[in-house]
Amino acid sequence: MFRDTLKIVYNRYLKKITMSSFRHGESLIGILFVTPVVLYFLIFLLYPVLGALYYSFTEWNMRTRPVWVGLWNYKHLLFDRINYPYFWHSLGVTAKYTGIAVPLSFVTALVLALLINAVQRGQDFFKVAFYLPVITAGAAVATMWRWIYDPLYGLLNIGLKAVGLQPQRWLGEPRMIIPALAIISAWQCGFAMIVFLAGLASIPSRLYEAAEIDGAGAWQKFRYITLPMLKPTTFFLLVTGLIAAFQVFDIVYVLFRTGGGTIGGPGQAGLTYVLSLFDHAFRYYEMGIACAMSFILFVIILIVTCLQFRFVPQSYE
Amino acid sequence: MVRLSKYWLCKRLVLYIALLIIAILMVSPFVWMISTSLKNGPDVFTPIPTLFPINQKTGNIYVTLENYHYVLVKKGFAIAFFNSLIVVGIVIPLKLFFDALGGYAFARIPFPGRDKLFLLLLSSMMVPGIALLIPRVYITKVLGLYNSLWGLIIPMSVSVFDVFLLRQFFLTLPRELEEAAMIDGASRLRIFIQIILPLSRPVLAVVTITSFIWHWNDLIWPLVIINTPSRYTLPLALALLTSGQSHKPHLTMAGAAIATIPILIVFLIFQKHILKGIALTGLKM
Repeated sequence: MFRDTLKIVYNRYLKKITMSSFRHGESLIGILFVTPVVLYFLIFLLYPVLGALYYSFTEWNMRTRPVWVGLWNYKHLLFDRINYPYFWHSLGVTAKYTGIAVPLSFVTALVLALLINAVQRGQDFFKVAFYLPVITAGAAVATMWRWIYDPLYGLLNIGLKAVGLQPQRWLGEPRMIIPALAIISAWQCGFAMIVFLAGLASIPSRLYEAAEIDGAGAWQKFRYITLPMLKPTTFFLLVTGLIAAFQVFDIVYVLFRTGGGTIGGPGQAGLTYVLSLFDHAFRYYEMGIACAMSFILFVIILIVTCLQFRFVPQSYE
Repeated sequence: MVRLSKYWLCKRLVLYIALLIIAILMVSPFVWMISTSLKNGPDVFTPIPTLFPINQKTGNIYVTLENYHYVLVKKGFAIAFFNSLIVVGIVIPLKLFFDALGGYAFARIPFPGRDKLFLLLLSSMMVPGIALLIPRVYITKVLGLYNSLWGLIIPMSVSVFDVFLLRQFFLTLPRELEEAAMIDGASRLRIFIQIILPLSRPVLAVVTITSFIWHWNDLIWPLVIINTPSRYTLPLALALLTSGQSHKPHLTMAGAAIATIPILIVFLIFQKHILKGIALTGLKM
């Protein structure tokens, strides 16, 4: 009886594996080699994805057992403006931040890439200088800019005064917060710049030569050759840029964290989506609500990614 | 011809001047950080910014390392620096080994269901990190790693993207090398360690540097895992210092400099690798 069962199990599940390992002599070694990666995947990737979905239907504080509440979390996040006033607000802040920061850093990156591309010598020096802000820790970036944005003695306001412009209370006034964050993101545009440079380098020079023979000027060459040829690069950067902007956290956390008080800056104008999620999870221990928020974010990002696959020409040329 | 080259020269001069001005603007926050960190408290708040520390009473130029000393000793930055080094020093070799081992098997050692498994792994890259955060914290607690440096290491010990990157690289290596070694009776592990890894130095370098920058700078994971000051990493210590002492920029700038300078050094040494790596992989570093 037991032997029969073993035989069935062997035939059904293990025969294929052992047979092929006879054939190749090393299936087992292959499985052994991927074991750490697979274990990690199960514990730190697969469980969290499924877990986040499950916990989003529960009320949970991470100490006691989760209690199933169905769609309560989603319903209240979306419609209960009294108990959860910041869901739509933080979504709006993030949308506004994305809408200003992504185009601003895009244009900056493109201008820098075109400038660097136009000079022959010293390209590496400028690339390095413009990439420094990207490799700096978010916490350090926020610390540096908090001092630069100082209303009285900050470098920026002193500079504005020197050229005769009105100094601003950058981090002290709700309407200035998103522009202040956008300036930081433009300062950190080095990644997009490097990708644009790679895109520019891949444009065949014969196109420009042909255009020159036809008498095209610099603007025409830019408008009708450079821009269209950069389309795939631009789409790639747009999607990665959007996804990164949706998830902005480090910089806003350090900029607006003021020892236990409000977390999102004056008027909660800097309360981005992930900051609000973090607040729900690790200040109020509403893990269910936070998981629902994280799942909504996942869906938004998924939609953006799918749109990319729809609109980007998959094979260019 | 002469006129044309004159025009050419002029254009180039304008380009370089524009680039230089932008470069100065981009680098100025770093210069300002270092400059402020070398000043004494009373000389920080001046209506006209001074590049060098100047004593406001006597007008003498000086340099002080007092802020660094204070932040390192009194604000726990020395311990945090050490903790950051430990985490990065363990997580990177671990990750490199696991990722390369897995990537090699996915590239070269056939076993049933391998390609489906690989696809499943890849699909996990679509999920944004923040969506995984809360269950990850929970499982880290369950595993007993909460509030310890191991909690910063084990949950970060594999990167699916790096497995993918390494696999793609291993696929480009000529098979003949392995076959020759196999005929000589070498085991897979030996082939992997003695032939594959030495050949993969360039791609391993890219993975090492990106991992270093990522883990050195990471804030959110230590923030949710660590709550004992003696186990803070540098970004965590800095976040706390900035929120508590923002009215003392000479201290916060010294803290920011301590967190930034190691990364700047690594970047300046490996800048060629890094910039090439981004262009090749489209990977943000």
